Amino acid sequence: MNTFRSLVVSSALIFLRSRQALFFTLFMPLVIMFIFGLIGFDKAPTYDIGVVAASAQPATVQFIDRLKEFEMLKVHEGSLADERAALEAGERVVVLVIPGDLIDAAGDAPKEVVVYVNDGQPAQVQSIVSMLSQYLDKTSLALAHAPTFFTLRQERVESRDLKYIDFLLPGLIAMSVMQMSVFSVAFLFVQYKEKGVLKRLAATPMRPFQFVAANAVTRLAVSFVQTAIFILVGVLVLDATVVGSYWLIALCVILGALMFLGLGFTVSGIAKTVESVPALANLIVFPMLFLGGTFFPLSSMPEWLQTGAKLLPLTFFSTPLREVMTKGAGFSAIAGDLLGMVVWGAILIGTATLTFGLQERDSA
Amino acid sequence: MHESRLAHYLNDAEKAGMTLADVARDLANAGWTPAHLATAIGSPMVPSGTIDVIEVSDLVKRYGQFTAVGGISFTVRRGEIFGILGPNGAGKTTTLEMIEGLRTPTAGTIHIDGLSVTTHTNDVKRRIGVQPQASTFFDGLTLRETLALFGALYGRTVDPEALLADVQLGEKAGSMVKELSGGQKQRFSIAVGLVNDPVVLFLDEPTTGLDPQARRNLWDLIRQVNARGTTVVLTTHYMDEAEVLCDRIAVMDHGAIVALDATDRLLAAHGGDAVIEFTSDHQIGDGVLAALADVRSVRQADGVHFVTTAQPRHTLDELFGAGRAHGFSIGALTLKRPTLEDVFLNLTGHQLRE
Repeated sequence: MNTFRSLVVSSALIFLRSRQALFFTLFMPLVIMFIFGLIGFDKAPTYDIGVVAASAQPATVQFIDRLKEFEMLKVHEGSLADERAALEAGERVVVLVIPGDLIDAAGDAPKEVVVYVNDGQPAQVQSIVSMLSQYLDKTSLALAHAPTFFTLRQERVESRDLKYIDFLLPGLIAMSVMQMSVFSVAFLFVQYKEKGVLKRLAATPMRPFQFVAANAVTRLAVSFVQTAIFILVGVLVLDATVVGSYWLIALCVILGALMFLGLGFTVSGIAKTVESVPALANLIVFPMLFLGGTFFPLSSMPEWLQTGAKLLPLTFFSTPLREVMTKGAGFSAIAGDLLGMVVWGAILIGTATLTFGLQERDSA
Repeated sequence: MHESRLAHYLNDAEKAGMTLADVARDLANAGWTPAHLATAIGSPMVPSGTIDVIEVSDLVKRYGQFTAVGGISFTVRRGEIFGILGPNGAGKTTTLEMIEGLRTPTAGTIHIDGLSVTTHTNDVKRRIGVQPQASTFFDGLTLRETLALFGALYGRTVDPEALLADVQLGEKAGSMVKELSGGQKQRFSIAVGLVNDPVVLFLDEPTTGLDPQARRNLWDLIRQVNARGTTVVLTTHYMDEAEVLCDRIAVMDHGAIVALDATDRLLAAHGGDAVIEFTSDHQIGDGVLAALADVRSVRQADGVHFVTTAQPRHTLDELFGAGRAHGFSIGALTLKRPTLEDVFLNLTGHQLRE
């Protein structure tokens, strides 16, 4: 049998029979996808506001009922003391105090509506207060029987509804391919090194490159399977939408997997024992999980952090994947990121060649 | 005489009508032993091969200031079991791994089947089988799959079942390597070393860590492999292993070969004398015993006679004769022959195992 084909088949068997590899490659990322997919970060937020009504006259009740119709508000009615306590406990964004004679006779001096605001949530307070003052203005106009000059008509334009799962899916694919490429290679090859398997192989006429390449080919195939499974589960179960070219998705996955295989071999070249692999690999991989644009966009980070995060290998991988999957970006739009992956790939494969050898370093 | 000329010589001898006795004398004069002759005639390597399958000269391996192997030279003959005996750290494994092409010598040359290991490393690797010290294989592959893979590494299609049957692991073909016992692992390792029908099989400490039963099984297997014509080179720090298995032994200490010869010759040359111990119902004068053939010294303690002799066979012969002549009985007779342990002690001044 052809040497290389034999090596590929064997390394695939070894991979498939390793429970650890399957856990980190498929099971764990799928669990993460379900957890984050089901939490639903994309529901519009609601704000708790307290309303203290001094009297229960019809105008006040009507005022409060209409306030309750706002989808973004959750209205709590109570006494001033209770609502203030809730505000102090951080359970309310604002507390609105409605005077007893809210609407008794038109033309009097303006009535004062007091709003207690939660100083700890300035952004929320700002939007609620502006909303409330608009509502009060509108009420004033209505009371003054002013003619309506404008109406606002919303026209729905069909647009892609970018849900959180759509954002998450490409990031998760990138992350899983990274985890698989780095850990499955690093653990296995350090183990091979430690147990003398590499030395045994070095005693055969096989070229070391064939063995490394066979393992790389296996993992490229695994990364495609990963990508396919995540897209299928995402689309069929979690209602994700994938637009864009599958060829470009495949291209991103190939480049990403090669780049991280380089990292995996570098780690296995540096690590002396299997025990030191997780520490060494996580030192590099772990920050990328959070800074590489997997779970939340880079734009939510402080500027100085963004600059660094943009240069991480995982960012160069997750960004174009997301552009293609969520926006249907073409080759030219992601060319820069692809180039980033090529550069990182060259660097990491270079360090792998320097640190990793089938033959043990000569030492007494 | 070069092996390639053997066929011509035999041809000529037949034409000339030489007697078998004459041919045998000629060949013996040319340095051929019957064993070598048998391998040479039975082996397809005859035209290209030579008696010496491995030639090592002035081999040196240094690590910085430390000299692991300090300029050793030896040859391994086709068809023999050659042992490198020495304590841990003597340089056995380093030597073996340089011969196998796994380590680069600092200086010196190694040839296997006439090929330089340093310049024709891969050609050499194709001709040899290797069982490294404590080698493991892939978790996740069965024995059958492992053998097929290793066959493929040599570009061969092998019959895993047959190879496994040869090492009595036929029933384990579908098992994983990690399910094997220590002895089974070593046998399997030998099977893997044989996938390419090697000219030489290298075994690095093959029985270290095995129980006595497993060791004996492995010795039998090594003898079988050798009997089929494969030259075997093994390292060991067990003198009994070297004594039982090896045709010739290189005794190594501190990176040097301190002696190299057939086992019995090593024992004769460096083992010191044998001691005959016995009791008797009569008082025997020391003079009677001292007069026996080849006796070096005689002493007596607690009714036991100790006779030190260079040639126990001759001395024993005469001892029984003397018993009949002088009418004394010989009881509780033991013969303490020198062992390789004694050889090592005499050569190096220290024990094999510290």
